[in-house]
Amino acid sequence: MKIDLNLVGAKGAIAEAAEGKWGMTIDQDVCTGCQACVAACAMENNLSFVGEEDAGYGRTQHWIRIERFWEGEYPEIKATPNQPMLCQQCGHAPCEPVCPVFATPHSDAEQLNLQVYNRCVGTRYCANNCPYQVRSFNWRDYHIDPFHANMVDGKLVFALHNQFNPDVTVRRRGVMEKCTFCIQRIHKAQDTAKAEGRDVFDGEFTTACAQACPADAITFGRVDHHESLVSQLSHHERGVKHLEELNTLPRVTYLKGA
Amino acid sequence: MLKNIFDWLKQPLGLIAVGIFFLSVFSVALYGISTTQQAPAQPIEFPHKTHVGFGIQCLYCHPGASKGPAAGIPSQAKCWACHNQIEKTQTSELLAPLKNAVLSGESIQWVPVAIVPDFVQFNHRPHIAAGKNCEECHGDMSQVTIAENPQVFNMGWCLDCHLKNAGDDVEKKTKLTDCGTCHY
Repeated sequence: MKIDLNLVGAKGAIAEAAEGKWGMTIDQDVCTGCQACVAACAMENNLSFVGEEDAGYGRTQHWIRIERFWEGEYPEIKATPNQPMLCQQCGHAPCEPVCPVFATPHSDAEQLNLQVYNRCVGTRYCANNCPYQVRSFNWRDYHIDPFHANMVDGKLVFALHNQFNPDVTVRRRGVMEKCTFCIQRIHKAQDTAKAEGRDVFDGEFTTACAQACPADAITFGRVDHHESLVSQLSHHERGVKHLEELNTLPRVTYLKGA
Repeated sequence: MLKNIFDWLKQPLGLIAVGIFFLSVFSVALYGISTTQQAPAQPIEFPHKTHVGFGIQCLYCHPGASKGPAAGIPSQAKCWACHNQIEKTQTSELLAPLKNAVLSGESIQWVPVAIVPDFVQFNHRPHIAAGKNCEECHGDMSQVTIAENPQVFNMGWCLDCHLKNAGDDVEKKTKLTDCGTCHY
């Protein structure tokens, strides 16, 4: 199905903003599936370790995951390339209009999908409406679960509290969360640049997943700046956007098929 | 059983008991609210007004405010820079915790007063860069001893000022009222 993005009215306005501000490219041809991005994301964004039991219920909390699919019929199967899947920061996001309390608004300033934890009431409607299945829900207060704490001198000591990133909220039970494109790093870079009286330059900072990638498969930056690396890569002929036919206007471009 | 209880409550003694119950719940709630409006106890009754009165700038002790997110609370080393020259430090009861902290090397556990919840990411630097003075949010420190909040830091109060400062500038208004500016 081909979508005419030049429609007038509301969709015309969306088409204008289709490019967005921040974007990412993921080169599936060089991705080795090592999961370094998954670990780095968990460290950067204070993701909870849900434990064995909850993981069995499919309640694992990852803002990025490595997907692999089978192609063909057994036994003639072929594994597809590793596909890191994260929030696509859709320009026209299916998760946004369904929230009854407007806890997942679209940021006009940064062109990102936000998740406002203090406003979220946990209906989980957004996660059900996300075609990429990248939202995760806090089923418990994992970080203050007393059963996972150690008793030291009569006080409960939580094992990983000292490694929390102070720039990111530690989410409580009953709120939805998702990839933010490391918005804390975006703000930090913008703040530093503003203090020095300049603009953020391409490659000045990057997301935790891109920073950790040993194969440099992930590139992050401004897609609306045409000289930036991510903008040039996203217009590469190998570029594919997932579920584009849903008119979600994803900001992540996958490169594959070299 | 339940009917007996209701019958007992309807007689004068029962009504008085109900009245006392609600009055006690109300007064406990009132006490609870009043405690949130008081400045917390500090290890040293630090007199802000004395120090401001000497002409010490806010940024001398809280230098982080002009550089980054947190203004910072000074360590005893900074206090000691002046106080080891001041004879009263050796004898004063109020200053004993400072002397002990310096001698033992253990830090003074100050209680932060101006705090925001974990889901709010506040950065001092842009506020100072935008020309805000400390007292616009933290009150006139030349009048108080232990630091206390002149107002409740809630979102309506933040947004009032953000909207006022953005004015008619659309780009500035978009940035200053965006959820993602403070919540992530």
